[in-house]
Amino acid sequence: MTSGLLLVKLSWRNLWRNPRGTLLTALALGLGLALLLISLGLLDGGHEQTITDGVRLGPGDVVVQAKGYQDTGSDDLLLSAATLSTTERFLQTSNIKDDVQGISPRLLATGLLSSSINAAGVRLVGVIPRAERSVSLIPQRMTKGLYLDDDALAEVIIGAGIARKLEAKIGSKVVLMTQPLQQPTSNGDEVSGKEMQSTLLRVSGVFLTGVPAIDDNVVEVSLPVAQKVLGLANGQVTQIALLLRHEGDSPLVADDLRRELSGAPVEVLTWRESLPMLAQILGLDHAFNYVMNGVILTMVGLGILNTILMRVMERRYEFGVCKAIGLRPGQLAIMIIGESLALTTISLLLGLTLGLGVNHYLSTSGLDLRMVFKTGLPPALVFDPILYSRLSVTRIVWSVNIVFVIATLISFYPAFKAARTELPDALKVL
Amino acid sequence: MTEWAVELEEVRKSYHTGPIEVRALRGISLQIDSGEFVATAGPSGSGKTTLLNLIGGLDRADAGEVLVAGENLQRLSSGELAHLRLLRIGFVFQTYNLLPVLTAAENAEFTLLLQGVPAHERRERVKALFAEIGLAGLENRRPAELSGGQQQRVAVARAMVTKPALILADEPTANLDSATAIDLLDVMERLNRSTGTTFIFSTHDPQVMERAHRLIRLRDGQIVSDEVRAGQEAVANVQATAGGGL
Repeated sequence: MTSGLLLVKLSWRNLWRNPRGTLLTALALGLGLALLLISLGLLDGGHEQTITDGVRLGPGDVVVQAKGYQDTGSDDLLLSAATLSTTERFLQTSNIKDDVQGISPRLLATGLLSSSINAAGVRLVGVIPRAERSVSLIPQRMTKGLYLDDDALAEVIIGAGIARKLEAKIGSKVVLMTQPLQQPTSNGDEVSGKEMQSTLLRVSGVFLTGVPAIDDNVVEVSLPVAQKVLGLANGQVTQIALLLRHEGDSPLVADDLRRELSGAPVEVLTWRESLPMLAQILGLDHAFNYVMNGVILTMVGLGILNTILMRVMERRYEFGVCKAIGLRPGQLAIMIIGESLALTTISLLLGLTLGLGVNHYLSTSGLDLRMVFKTGLPPALVFDPILYSRLSVTRIVWSVNIVFVIATLISFYPAFKAARTELPDALKVL
Repeated sequence: MTEWAVELEEVRKSYHTGPIEVRALRGISLQIDSGEFVATAGPSGSGKTTLLNLIGGLDRADAGEVLVAGENLQRLSSGELAHLRLLRIGFVFQTYNLLPVLTAAENAEFTLLLQGVPAHERRERVKALFAEIGLAGLENRRPAELSGGQQQRVAVARAMVTKPALILADEPTANLDSATAIDLLDVMERLNRSTGTTFIFSTHDPQVMERAHRLIRLRDGQIVSDEVRAGQEAVANVQATAGGGL
């Protein structure tokens, strides 16, 4: 055994001089790591869920729409049938085909929906039901009735808020009043003066997303119906929503589309551009969580510092003896750092076990936020009341590394204090 | 010129307790030859421990010269002092001061390990020494499982196992009952005779003073008497130091 091994042995045995104290300390530090892992898992899970829900209830991961639509929101800005077919053809044939999970052309407009009881202003969305199922969450959020069929030419599905207001049930007859869209003529003038259209529809389903802005406003009909009531005879749509297999591919897919559609009067936006508020909220949430994680790490660090420092202060006399019989200051410091690293390693193992265990539960069973937000969920952040943890290997490695590095750095101070034990003062018997 | 095991020349040391200056040693001059078995005695505050600390290189004198085995400690760096302590000096403390997490044998091996002595040699030396001082069979016990006398023997073994030139023992029997203290003194005296190692210890204990071959009495930081005993002709070697003294 070399003196290095002796120091390791000493460090390890010193750690277990007070097993209960060591275990309690390791548990406390482990809890810090576990909290960090749980916090990161819920944060990432929440964000992933929010992004997924946000884009699936909105314009998708990537959206193609007429130039200026994002800024003006004008329903009159439409994509031509040619642009639609070019886009669809490109997405089917290009090398990004495998990245795309769904493509849904949509026609958006405003209208008035009336029942025999009441009337409500609505956001009309014309969709190809089969395509919309591959992109939107609404088909999965039907609480009554069924989602639209591809051949549903006289049916409408409505949000739960509208159904409540109109007192509409499945099978209820409702009248949709729309203003035909203003389309520019070949010389640039807009056609105007078309009369309001009234269309009798039957409620075939009611959906509830949990987002009031959707539940109280959106109604969906099949695309041919929407085009007919809006006076569009040439197959125009407002946007083409794309759902990707991996949200992170959005910028690449958007760039490819921009290149392909470079000659057309269109804008291609990622969800961060089409839903800037959501992106900002997530960014703020990230920043807040980094602060919280900083607090957790500071607490972990102070815990380690306090523990190691107390151990060093208690053993000043012993260090004096070690120095007197020939242990060099550097060797004393290594012994203390060794103790600290051993304690940190035990803590990390406990923390990993606890943190990954809880994360596993939260990733499979989820955390039901309805227990916390009894009066309703914060709509901008979470759409699904069950929050599932998502913890990547990168996050785990990062957390373990950061705690390990902090613990190592912090142990330098007690080690320095031990190494600086002054002779002969340290040998005075109290 | 004679090279003494320990030689002090006009050594002075003061401590400051707040604004008060405590003059612990007031010009001590002293020579100790190799193989001597010396006790320093005196009341509390007389300077016994300070004297041992200076000889052991645990502290530095304010003035004067401290030479151990020909090395002037005043001129050595902290690292060189540590090296000297590791190789040439053994310490036995009042409160045993064994490392509680190591076994008796590991405690004794500790300094050998620091010296880089190979494992088989370490084991042999510890085994032989333990047998010599009555610790055989206790090698694997932790300090908490040993009596005070046994712990102090382990401390003596730790100090002796490196075959140092000098052993410094600060009140080694202070925490032992008289029978155990006599046993320990027997061990130390036997080692002194068999190895020729110089022993210097401080004590209040009349038994220890009785057993010393040379007794140096201190009072107020000065040597008041220095007598050689144990069958030798008692010499009242009254030294006239610069700071005074008998």
